[in-house]
Amino acid sequence: MVSVLMEPDGTGVWRDLVASFERRHPTLRVEFVEGPPATNTREDMYSTAFLAGRGGFDVVYSDVVWVPKFAAAGWLMDLTDRISADDREDFLPADVRGGTYQGRLYRIPALTDAGLLYYRKDLISQPPTTFAELIRLARQHRDPRGWGFVWQGKQYEGLVTSFLEVLWGHGGEWINAETRSVHLDEPPAAAALRFMVDLIGDISPPGVTTYTEEEGRAIFQNGRSVFLRNWLYVWGLLDQDGAIGRHQVGFVPMVHLPGNAGATTLGGWGFAISRFSDDPATAWQLVEFLTRPESLARVRDRMGRTSARRSQVPAELLPVLENARPRPPIPEYAQASDILQRALSAALTKRISVEDALRDAAVDTRLLLRRGSRRSHMSGGSSAQP
Amino acid sequence: MTRLQAGRASGWLWGLPAALLIGIVLLYPAMRSVVLSLTHQNLGTGFAMAFAGTDNFVRLAADSRFHASVAVTTLFVAASVALEFLLGLVLALATSQMLGAQSVVRTLLLIPWTLPTAIVGVLWTWILNDQFGIVNHVLIQTGLLAAPVAWLAHPSTALASMIAADVWKTVPFVFLILLAGLQSVPADLYEALAMDGAGPVAAFRYVTWPHLVPFAFIALIFRIVQAFAVFDLVYVLTGGGPGGTTETVSLYAYQTTMRYLDFSYGSTIAVALVFMLAVAAFVLKRVLREPA
Repeated sequence: MVSVLMEPDGTGVWRDLVASFERRHPTLRVEFVEGPPATNTREDMYSTAFLAGRGGFDVVYSDVVWVPKFAAAGWLMDLTDRISADDREDFLPADVRGGTYQGRLYRIPALTDAGLLYYRKDLISQPPTTFAELIRLARQHRDPRGWGFVWQGKQYEGLVTSFLEVLWGHGGEWINAETRSVHLDEPPAAAALRFMVDLIGDISPPGVTTYTEEEGRAIFQNGRSVFLRNWLYVWGLLDQDGAIGRHQVGFVPMVHLPGNAGATTLGGWGFAISRFSDDPATAWQLVEFLTRPESLARVRDRMGRTSARRSQVPAELLPVLENARPRPPIPEYAQASDILQRALSAALTKRISVEDALRDAAVDTRLLLRRGSRRSHMSGGSSAQP
Repeated sequence: MTRLQAGRASGWLWGLPAALLIGIVLLYPAMRSVVLSLTHQNLGTGFAMAFAGTDNFVRLAADSRFHASVAVTTLFVAASVALEFLLGLVLALATSQMLGAQSVVRTLLLIPWTLPTAIVGVLWTWILNDQFGIVNHVLIQTGLLAAPVAWLAHPSTALASMIAADVWKTVPFVFLILLAGLQSVPADLYEALAMDGAGPVAAFRYVTWPHLVPFAFIALIFRIVQAFAVFDLVYVLTGGGPGGTTETVSLYAYQTTMRYLDFSYGSTIAVALVFMLAVAAFVLKRVLREPA
């Protein structure tokens, strides 16, 4: 028997897929555990299970940002030689990279995701490409009772992704994973954060500093905002609820400074296998089954999510998805993200200045990464338990 | 062997199971935390243990996030325990004279205390919600507020909300202990005072309070220890936000250990927390001059 901890299965599609798997293999049983909606909490649940060693979950339904940490801890099986050449070709390159740590593949992609700039096609004929155009169009077309641009401003992971897209558009960088250098106290980062601070109260509502994905989506879908920064899932929900339909909406990658390119943050989920699994063969059979095109098509149809297989991605999404950029694949990601979240949140709520926030965050992040590399005898995880 | 010696020997033997239990569930983890705090053992070392000397404590001394969490925790403990003690005392004094109704009142007052803290946290996120919460509803209906406030979105109101939720939950605990103390005061002392013509203030000062001190000590020490280690309420109510302004020491220790997988630094934070608790208990003992 193998077990897997999944996201809440509102549509029941994951349970159905597991049932199909069991029908195909009458001797195999899968224990399906439905986890809480907060991904942080599921990450902690996996960590706790891994720390206890055997008896935890066999199959890991993994966010793209967990891979470096879990792989560096030696908790995941190396799947590099398991995946077929055809599958490796079919999965989107960014998603394969997102499942790779130090050259080895630990996670098979399943669903992809990317941050997009949604805009009201019925109000704007030509979508913006630069920050200045975004502000101009937002001011020009906003409803007197509404706003121009809503995004994720609460202190949590979503704020980091919102910021990264603006940062990349300014030609900046957060952490270079190769050299482990930190670039938060450089001019592009200050310009990016200043841009976000200045949005608040102008084209973005003051409450944006408490918004996660759903608050912004509600405002946009009720026709109260011209622009929305959000993930792909909104596209799937546009005709299901809210006053604004899909025919009124378009999307582009986040805007940029003239001369730079816009970039979107890679998100997405896939399957890994625990190194402590008693039955890795069955675990692999399940992972292989769940990531087949037929299985992912069922998830797409029932949940409106986007398959990470190029052959299944709608043509209009392909250009955006092929340019998706991952967040820095470092084992210390969770901590680096926390440092950045706190600094961004403090600057956005005007408790400290943009320069101070970024300088403090840069100092703390450098300290963190130096601590990591000074004692780095990471071997890809031979000693897996404390 | 005399009978006394035999009795002593078997006494040790009888104590052994309890000693073992305490050793395994209390002493061993505590000692292990202290040992861990003197090592490097984390994701960066591949979970191998390396001696660190005082590295972790040097880092702790310069860690602004730790300093902030100590300030938040101290403020939380001071405000919530003070409010809980005052309210608990007032309630105990008010109900100690009730006769028939006391058991009913006592039972009603105990309800918040019986709820698990995580549930109290969820309950209060809804009580304080800006769109649907009862707090905003009442304040707007009574004209005290013009527009709803997102209480958990601002550092000061978020901390105040945490304190309010904690007070709501644990006043009954203080109340119950102080009520027991009040009921232990011999009634003839009050009669004697009344005969001497003393008023209620003098009665409280010379009879009630001296009898209450040991009970107050117990109530305060329990509350201070629990409040210092507050975790579940913060985790559910604010998650340490906004901007990390309500992060308590135990939440920081948890994040460090479970999310950053830095076991040695997490233990260092925990050891520092225990040290602060010991100091608090010592000070309290001095202030209340508890004899034992």
